[in-house]
Amino acid sequence: MARGVMLMSGGIDSPVALHYLLRQGHAMVAVHMDNRPFTDDSPLAKVVDHLAMLREHYRQPIPLYLLPHGPTQITLMRSTDRHFGCVLCRRFMWRSAEQIALREGATFLATGEALGQVASQTLSNMRSATASVHLPIVRPLIGFDKQEIERVAKSIDTYAISTRPGVCCQAVPDKPATRSNLIQILKEEERIDVDGMIDEVVRKAVIL
Amino acid sequence: MYRRIRLCSNRGGYEAVPEPPQPIDLGLAKARLEAERIPVVDARVMLIVRIEPEVTLSHRGRLLFKTQDPQLAVRAFERLRSIPELPPMEDAPGSEALGG
Repeated sequence: MARGVMLMSGGIDSPVALHYLLRQGHAMVAVHMDNRPFTDDSPLAKVVDHLAMLREHYRQPIPLYLLPHGPTQITLMRSTDRHFGCVLCRRFMWRSAEQIALREGATFLATGEALGQVASQTLSNMRSATASVHLPIVRPLIGFDKQEIERVAKSIDTYAISTRPGVCCQAVPDKPATRSNLIQILKEEERIDVDGMIDEVVRKAVIL
Repeated sequence: MYRRIRLCSNRGGYEAVPEPPQPIDLGLAKARLEAERIPVVDARVMLIVRIEPEVTLSHRGRLLFKTQDPQLAVRAFERLRSIPELPPMEDAPGSEALGG
């Protein structure tokens, strides 16, 4: 079985996706992009509790990397077109996760994305976001609908954790793009120091 | 005008939204807050005001108080209101200004 890096948000979907990968026997490392000050402490607390639940269930360690994402969001908000904020944000998440994967000897990345659930999860946005990385990306829930995901989340006891009160991401633009093309996105990234920002995020990673 | 402070959709904080929407000059608001020695993070379309509890002030005048305690939210509103010259609250803030 392979070693992979799972992006964990604190929401309903990511622990369900992680559950399926653990059930298949993969060794997983979790990455949480810390969005403070655009959220509160609740997403991190939820991820910590999700992992505690899944570690106990599968009796295996799941290291958690906490990566600062707030400073990246501030730079994106100041220097790039707000319309593409969600796609640009995702590209930084993927690139940061890929750096952690290389450090951990992991061979794939994974998320709880399902098609069409939110603005950032359209096919064109997924393509624009994931063109920034080279490792294969596994999406165990890609064809699931929300009800199916919630049913599984309840069965593995992560649903109640995910639905605890929390401040949602304040960095989401008023009208996020549901379609994007890579040329537009690359043009936006010319305005910022992408490699320097990723280096800084990975340098400040904390393992919990 | 703000009409009330209400629980936000994810139940993690309280928000006050001016009705009708009222654009805020964030540059001016930032200068005024900093003059009061209140730390502010400028994210261009919003300010993150580092008081207790932390508050996000959007360019459309929406205030988000990162607390689940409504009284702390009201107190933060009162502290902020006069500094960046936000729109007035319909009623004097207090328990009567809180909505569900």
